[in-house]
Amino acid sequence: MAKRILITDDALFMRVTLKNILTKQGYEIAGEASNGLESVEMYQSTKPDLVTMDITMPEMDGISAVREIKKLDANAQIIMCTAMGQKTMVLDAVSAGARDFIIKPFQAEKVIEAVKKLIG
Amino acid sequence: MKVEYINPFVQAAFSVIESVLGETPTKGQLAMRPLTFTSQQCNVMTGVTGKIVGQVMYGMSLITADKIASTMIGQPIRTFDQLAASAIAELANMITGNAISLLAEAGFLCDITPPSIIRGTNVKITTLSVPGLVVPICVTQGAIELTVTLRER
Repeated sequence: MAKRILITDDALFMRVTLKNILTKQGYEIAGEASNGLESVEMYQSTKPDLVTMDITMPEMDGISAVREIKKLDANAQIIMCTAMGQKTMVLDAVSAGARDFIIKPFQAEKVIEAVKKLIG
Repeated sequence: MKVEYINPFVQAAFSVIESVLGETPTKGQLAMRPLTFTSQQCNVMTGVTGKIVGQVMYGMSLITADKIASTMIGQPIRTFDQLAASAIAELANMITGNAISLLAEAGFLCDITPPSIIRGTNVKITTLSVPGLVVPICVTQGAIELTVTLRER
C-alpha cells in the first residue's frame, strides 16, 4: 500500500509542486493543508505516514503545528520545508520534533531522499 | 536605510533565481527610492520583523509576472490565476527567506510575514519614514525591481 503524505504550505504553487514530486514517486497525498491549524486537524482525520511542513503561514506557524501534532502522536514523521534556513529556526523545528529540514528552493531529489529516509 | 541591508537580498535573489528559473540574472544600478513612488504593475510585498523591520517589494510588469509564473509552473499560463499568483509570491518568499538567513548570520535575527500581491497601474506606494533602496534584477522574462525599506528596531 502506498505511503500517505500530508502536505502543509500556504502557497498553492508549493503544494502543487510537492504533490507532483511525491505522486510521481508513488506516494499518496493524504491531504493538503494551507496553514498549521488545518494541518493539525487534517493529521487527526487522515493519519498520514509523513507530513511536510512550511514555517511561515497564517493562522498557525509550522513550528507550533509540529508541537501540536507531536502532542497527538509522538511518533509523527515531519519534514520542515521552508525558505527560512537560519540556525535558530532549524533548532526550534528539531526541538519541536521535526525529523528533517529542507530549505526552499529545493530540488525534487532532495525531497525524495528525505521522505525515503523516514518512511521508505 | 543602511546599504548593507540590501546586499543579502541581492545575493539571495541571484541564488534563488538561478535555482528556480535556471539562469544567472544580471544586476542593474542601485538607486534610492523617494518616500512616495509609483509601483510596477505587479508587486509582491513581504514584511520583515525582528531586529530589522520593514518591507521588501518585488515589482515587475504584468508580462514579466506572466512569463516568470509560466516558467515556474512549467507551462504557459492563460490567465494570472491563483496558481500563477502563488508562484510569483513564492519566488519572493524564497528570496526574502533566504536573505533573512543571511542577515541572521550577520547577527540580525528576523522573521518574515506571508507575501501579498498588489496588481494595478499607477499605484502610489508610500514607505513613510524609511526611504527605500531599489536594484533591478534582470532575467530573460524581464526585470524585477527589488525595493528594500528596512530599519533597525
